[in-house]
Amino acid sequence: MSDGRAPILTTHGLSKEFGALRAVDGLDMEVCRGDVFGFLGPNGAGKTTVIRLVLGLIHPTAGHAEVCGHRVPGDRQKALRHVGGFVDDPTFYPLMSARRNLRLLGSMTGPVGEERIDEVLEIAGLADRADSRVGGFSHGMKQRLGIAQALLHAPELIVLDEPTSGLDPRGMKDVRELIRELGRSGTTVFLSSHLLHEVEQVCNRAIIIDKGRVIVQGPVSDLRPKGLAVKVLTDDQGKAAETARSAFGPGAVSEDDGYVIVKAGEDVPELVRRLVADGLAVRSVVPATDQGLEDFFLELTASDEAQARPAAKRRRLLAFGTRR
Amino acid sequence: MSPAGARHGSTRAAMSGHALGPLRREWTKLLFTRRTYVIWAGLLAIPFITALAIKLASSPPGPGEGPEFLSRVIENGMYTPLASLAALIPFFLPLAAIMAASYMIAGEAELGTLRIILLRPVKRGAMLLTKWVTAITFLLVGLLLVVAGGLLFGGLFFGLQPMVTLSGTTVSIAEGIGLILLTALFALAAMACMVSLALLFSTLADSSLTALIATVVLYVVIQLLVSFSYFDWLAPYVFPTYFNDYVNFFRDPIAWRPIGKAVLVFGVWSAALTTIAWLLFRRKDVVS
Repeated sequence: MSDGRAPILTTHGLSKEFGALRAVDGLDMEVCRGDVFGFLGPNGAGKTTVIRLVLGLIHPTAGHAEVCGHRVPGDRQKALRHVGGFVDDPTFYPLMSARRNLRLLGSMTGPVGEERIDEVLEIAGLADRADSRVGGFSHGMKQRLGIAQALLHAPELIVLDEPTSGLDPRGMKDVRELIRELGRSGTTVFLSSHLLHEVEQVCNRAIIIDKGRVIVQGPVSDLRPKGLAVKVLTDDQGKAAETARSAFGPGAVSEDDGYVIVKAGEDVPELVRRLVADGLAVRSVVPATDQGLEDFFLELTASDEAQARPAAKRRRLLAFGTRR
Repeated sequence: MSPAGARHGSTRAAMSGHALGPLRREWTKLLFTRRTYVIWAGLLAIPFITALAIKLASSPPGPGEGPEFLSRVIENGMYTPLASLAALIPFFLPLAAIMAASYMIAGEAELGTLRIILLRPVKRGAMLLTKWVTAITFLLVGLLLVVAGGLLFGGLFFGLQPMVTLSGTTVSIAEGIGLILLTALFALAAMACMVSLALLFSTLADSSLTALIATVVLYVVIQLLVSFSYFDWLAPYVFPTYFNDYVNFFRDPIAWRPIGKAVLVFGVWSAALTTIAWLLFRRKDVVS
């Protein structure tokens, strides 16, 4: 799992109970140095609780985390010397400027030069608002300032809790590019996100959790449905569907929006060969867009019937509304 | 965001700690809070209002009317800061102490900055102690404003003359100012208990208003209890009982024994309450 790289963040049987609620249940996780690690899970899966546990904001009921070789919560202070980041929405002192906020937060770790503050403000795209009061900042600007403060002491591990939340498309693109750059420069990034395509775009490894338990973890490239589907467009879609059914079975073929969808898995070349052999002019063969990590994520986390029930009920209500 | 992102590691910030850093940080926060100036302005207004009200009154307050030393203000401006302190100590100064300290943890939790602070490598105990020291120094500035304002307005309206102590002896202006400053320090020691109590509630609550109300209610309940003769046995053990013992500075010679006892009670209470606050805060789950 680690490809021989040293782990920088691990959890060992990490559990947290809030009264009767078991928010995190024996979580074992491993993030290696240099990883851009995606942390996925539906709402209420326990993602933020795990981040709080890892960063020592809350105390585990059982188990522990190890961050940069230091046990948390026991050696929380030593561990946090190597970590930057934020949990939930980053919040700052509203009457102070962005620069003063960074100076103040930086002084908690040690002296931070003005040059470094200018540098992180530039990285975060806030150089022109450095001396403006944070109270007047938009949500997206506060997110950017959160990233700036996370980078302030050039940590080995950066923990970001939904960093693109509230950003416009341009801002999202910038943040993702920054995360990729951080990864390339050797900084480990732990990225909690609801945006599955974001994790696909920037992360090399990921974990999916639900109800505080690990569903799956590993390389992002492995976190896809095994029966990968492709959308096929030919000069005769009816004949193409018949050919595909004869090759892959009726259950592997469907039709949608003028396309023939074929769960061909790794046998896409075989599918194309058969279509051509049947005299069809193949115009395009593209991956079905809903067959990425998102599909896999939903498939894994919706296995619980209790989760499927509200969706079914919603469908019934909508159908009832339409009939009326 | 600029592609300069890749340069993030080019200037590695020094990681060494700085002894005065936390205190400076807390003071920066304090000076960037409007409440700070409102409280200081309120404290400064007390000697001004005291001096002005007596100056404009058709008949000055008689002996025993109002706070200690109030009846003497018209004779000598030196009594203005003392009368102001006497007026402040039972309620307004504790309220200022509670307002400052109750915000320290709960206010940060409410604002959301507590979690971003605790993501820095700070010891929770050291952080709590720094906040305690900050609240105390904040009150010290407030008390010095009362003393300076009292001397200024008292001097302007009534002039400053040597003071007559409660024992009937006269002390010079310099000695009188020394006694006034000792009174202010005594008030500060008394307020250490209020700061510790409010800080304790501040670690328990996630809202500064909740912490403030809880502390005020407890303080009022203690005051109420000791006002009933049935609870006389309780009086020696609770700190508000000793709040007015500063008058012993104005005896000749100074009655150090009751002053020392009062300061000891304040110290014990403050240490106990701060220790409980620390025990709670070090294990507190920061979820807000």
